[in-house]
Amino acid sequence: MKIRFGKGRDPAFGVTSDKIVANACVVSSVGLLARDFAGTVLDVKVAEGQQVRRGQVLCADGHDPQIVFVAPVAGRVSRIHRGARRRVEQVVVTTEDDTDSPFDPGNADRNGVALRSLLLASGAWVAFRTRPYGRIPTASARPSAIFVTATDSNPLALDPALVLAPQIDAFRRGAKALLHLTEGPVFVCQNAGEALIEPEDRLRSATFSGPHPSGLAGTHIHRLWPVSQSRTVWQIGYQDVAAIGHLLADGRIATRRTYSVAGPGLRAHTCVVAPLGAALADLVAGCGAVTAGDPPRAISGSVLSGHESPFVGRYDLQVTVLDQTVLDQTVRGPAASSLLRRLLPPAGTGATIPSEAFERLFPFDLLPVPLMRALAVGDIETAERLGCIELVEEDLALLSLRCPSGLDYGALLRKTLDALWQEQVS
Amino acid sequence: MTGSAPFVPRRHDANRLTLLALVAILPPVSVALAERGAAALGVLGVAVILAVIWAAVFARVRGRPFGWDSLVTALVFAALVPDAVPLWQVAIGFSFGLVMGDLIFGGRGRGFLSPAAVGLAFLLFSFPVPDMAMSGMAARVAALGAAAILLVSGLLSWRVVAGFAAGVIGLSFSAIIADVGAFVPSATLLLGLVFLVGDPVAGASTNVGRWAYGLLAGALFVLLRLAGGIDLPAIVFAALLASIFAPLIDQAVIWANVRRRARRQRDV
Repeated sequence: MKIRFGKGRDPAFGVTSDKIVANACVVSSVGLLARDFAGTVLDVKVAEGQQVRRGQVLCADGHDPQIVFVAPVAGRVSRIHRGARRRVEQVVVTTEDDTDSPFDPGNADRNGVALRSLLLASGAWVAFRTRPYGRIPTASARPSAIFVTATDSNPLALDPALVLAPQIDAFRRGAKALLHLTEGPVFVCQNAGEALIEPEDRLRSATFSGPHPSGLAGTHIHRLWPVSQSRTVWQIGYQDVAAIGHLLADGRIATRRTYSVAGPGLRAHTCVVAPLGAALADLVAGCGAVTAGDPPRAISGSVLSGHESPFVGRYDLQVTVLDQTVLDQTVRGPAASSLLRRLLPPAGTGATIPSEAFERLFPFDLLPVPLMRALAVGDIETAERLGCIELVEEDLALLSLRCPSGLDYGALLRKTLDALWQEQVS
Repeated sequence: MTGSAPFVPRRHDANRLTLLALVAILPPVSVALAERGAAALGVLGVAVILAVIWAAVFARVRGRPFGWDSLVTALVFAALVPDAVPLWQVAIGFSFGLVMGDLIFGGRGRGFLSPAAVGLAFLLFSFPVPDMAMSGMAARVAALGAAAILLVSGLLSWRVVAGFAAGVIGLSFSAIIADVGAFVPSATLLLGLVFLVGDPVAGASTNVGRWAYGLLAGALFVLLRLAGGIDLPAIVFAALLASIFAPLIDQAVIWANVRRRARRQRDV
């Protein structure tokens, strides 16, 4: 199955990524961030200063204790940061000598029940996210389909085929095992090129091309298996599927991921292998900043939908390094317009001005301007009718970038989805 | 910059869009000034001063930052209003249009009408307005230039323009009418199409809706033109009526989209 999208845009911001250099990286600490997991309340199972092995449980989900978050490295719990209402926001582990706690894969690659309990116990379960809502699925849920996203159209992302090449067997083992979690199909979504898997009955391959967001799971799901309140699918990233494949092979959890570290603030496009939740400062160190002195401004995720944070997010596979001076020049045009900019400072937040440009950026069969208006005024009912339930934050990033109103539609969508979730459970 | 995505500065800032619209309306206004001289200058001065005053008043009352977009309304209004209209009538008409068509809703992007069209309609309703539409070739060229700027920058929807043209041509060539088919579009018609009908805030906000909205405006223009024989009232009321129907058109498009997606949900 080959699908090509004409709508969308690959935002250029002065950096090309033709040559990628690998860089070794020593990570001093890793962090588990509550913000990555929408709707989850972290219930801490360790104390500050406690020694933990790799794979040991750090936290459980307060609503569903079977879902656990494990330590991606061995070390010492150095900080448990609590925010408003004593809610845990961050658990930081400082790396020490590497000891891990292996799991027994048993017959998990053939048996659905065994697979489910292995994934839950080893913390691999949190790699799944549901659509609608973008949350971790409950321990007993069964999706109508699973989407493996082996594409990434974000600016400066790595080519998944290159990352998977050395571990393609593990990826295939993992993808096959996913068939035991659903009665429906498992879609492996990939870029044009050699097929990553051998398609069989329920294991299907789909090829996507076109400008961003052609590589996002939301675009694939909307096209192949549209979701609704009554039909849920799961999505999982390609490196997480390979990690499941490794876990099934030898019972050791694979917590290292290959990250793209690039951006206007760096001289080269680098790929770094590091544990989940690695400190951004460690990831960026040694990658060659453009301006010496101040530490460069690093973002977990892409320039379109990333977050500023001390640690790389659980679902992010890239770190974007900004450089304010370079960014200003490349994005806002040459110096001739700088006088104009001073005379005409950017306007504050305002209302959307409809334009055909929004339709050109949005490869969904949804109506962008009515949806943006509904989100902006907090009209949950209309937003649901317009299909917001099929989307998550990253799907709206291009609209936020283009909209003169200055609103962050991703954040507005998250509020709407949370409200819809509350309605649904109560 | 704040700590939230996107981390690329936005290129389509509200002030920059205003600047683009100002650049587009400047040539037609200049042509009007050159053709009519002092009279047009008076109209322009009154409109610009009132635009700044009203925008400042509403910014202060609402505690919102001052927006420059009312200047575009002033220039559009000045380019279209016949110069024989007394200045006090210009002042009342423009004030009504800007306040009731735009500012009272909370500013640009929150209303559903083109403020210039509201002001002109008020003027045409309330006072006897002489027919002194712009007709020279220079005015036409300037209007086409404005259209080109706005089309390229995406402020004017080509679907609305194409729909309007289709509506005009379709109705003109149908059996009822014979003589309208031969007419050359006047500068007033072109300016009205670009800045009144084509105002993105007043039109439909879906792609299918834009076609329907353009068609409706075009058809209304031909009918009103046939009834009255003058371009200015025809295009102003066509724009106003069409934009009143635009939300309804959008609702129909939304309804069709919801239905289509529900059917897909069942099929896949």
